[in-house]
Amino acid sequence: MVHQYKNNGYNIVLDVNSGAVHIVDDIVYDVLPLYEDQSEDEIIASLKGTYAIDELKEAIAEIGELKEAGALFTPDAYEDYISECTEQPTVVKALCLHIAHDCNLACRYCFAEEGEYHGKREIMSFEVGKAALDFLIKASGNRRNLEVDFFGGEPTLNFQVVKQLVAYGREQEKVHNKKFRFTLTTNGVLLNDEIMEFANQEMSNVVLSIDGRKDVNDKMRPFPNGTGSYHLIVPKFQKLAESRQQDNYYVRGTYTRHNLDFSKDVLHLADLGFRQISIEPVVAEETEDYAIREEDLPQLYEEYDKLAQEMIRRQKEGKGFQFFHFMIDLEGGPCVAKRLSGCGSGTEYLAVTPWGDFYPCHQFVGNDQFLMGNVWEGVNNTALQRIFKGCNVYAKEKCRSCFARFYCSGGCAANAYHFHGDIKETYEIGCALQKKRIECAIMMKAALAQE
Amino acid sequence: MKHIKTLNTRKLQNTIKKGGCGECQTSCCTVGNQTCEQCK
Repeated sequence: MVHQYKNNGYNIVLDVNSGAVHIVDDIVYDVLPLYEDQSEDEIIASLKGTYAIDELKEAIAEIGELKEAGALFTPDAYEDYISECTEQPTVVKALCLHIAHDCNLACRYCFAEEGEYHGKREIMSFEVGKAALDFLIKASGNRRNLEVDFFGGEPTLNFQVVKQLVAYGREQEKVHNKKFRFTLTTNGVLLNDEIMEFANQEMSNVVLSIDGRKDVNDKMRPFPNGTGSYHLIVPKFQKLAESRQQDNYYVRGTYTRHNLDFSKDVLHLADLGFRQISIEPVVAEETEDYAIREEDLPQLYEEYDKLAQEMIRRQKEGKGFQFFHFMIDLEGGPCVAKRLSGCGSGTEYLAVTPWGDFYPCHQFVGNDQFLMGNVWEGVNNTALQRIFKGCNVYAKEKCRSCFARFYCSGGCAANAYHFHGDIKETYEIGCALQKKRIECAIMMKAALAQE
Repeated sequence: MKHIKTLNTRKLQNTIKKGGCGECQTSCCTVGNQTCEQCK
């Protein structure tokens, strides 16, 4: 399968099954759609009115050479392989600890409803967190690298327990030859020097929630009394980002129908000095006034194009920054097994509520249909675990023929469930935006490779 | 090549043999950008 498109003056060709990316001239661009179905003579007959015959022969020969080398029209040989991977024993390697089902902001789009996840306000005790880490060590089998996300609600509302759990994890990793990678996601309201120092010492990644421009942020991320949070959090986030040498953190925000010109929010954050940025589309019921609609897609495509071009310009001027959804590694990146199996929700990755229940990920918390077990008994809903384990690219009809499947891994199970009631479905708006972002990210590689 | 410039040399099909160790970070890390030690 070959995906070809034009962007920012480049003719780009992605050989989907090998991951090879080619920049081609107009002749090759026009020959490629004919190459698999027509003979050389037929292709020449079709295009000789536009291109010289010698040039067409050269182009056809070059395409043949790359096909022979496994870099064009590479066959899909992965379906049997992914079945083998699925039959491997399940190990858990990551937990999302809901340290606090409570929050000091009242963000309008929050799926956790002010941190409560459709339930009661509660914070995780050290005993529950300790049992979760013990479970993870035991359930991880031979895996050495383990991850624990401190999440909420707002985890700094229960910071003492965060510190205790990190200390316990550091003790246990020596005993069991494991390596914990801790992360913290915070809205910044309670961020202070003590928390920053601790985060810099112990957190491999810190996610700092902010939506961009002041009016955009404060419209969607107010305090419960309605006042905005921007003025309070920006100086703290700037200080923390600098103290981490502008690495191993993200300022992370959400764009909605109220700021379809979101590229301005990304650039606003870059102008504030942040170098690791993610601004992502809201996922919300169509009835919400801020939900992204299909009719918004053309404008959003333009925004991603504008952002990509501006990022290239800034990169060339030595003022570059990272944008999470444009991060793509054409020479490296994960192996095929990882690309086809996705995020591991419900199998390798579980969310833990403050009282110790397991769910496939934070977006399923509070839905009893998806209760998978708890920290004391382990995963006892193995039927649900099997369903999630089988949820790979080949299990989703729409993904099988999609050029983006090795870069999105079949999308988000929670989004599919919330829109279609089936984790093996796809969320169409999410797919459309993902494909656009991949096209932009590859174009940026092409543009910067020319330097 | 005169008509085609290839940007990368790594091929996904070559990751089948040594891939699948599971030591990589979970992604939601995007799936496109992170390589574990084994695949480097």
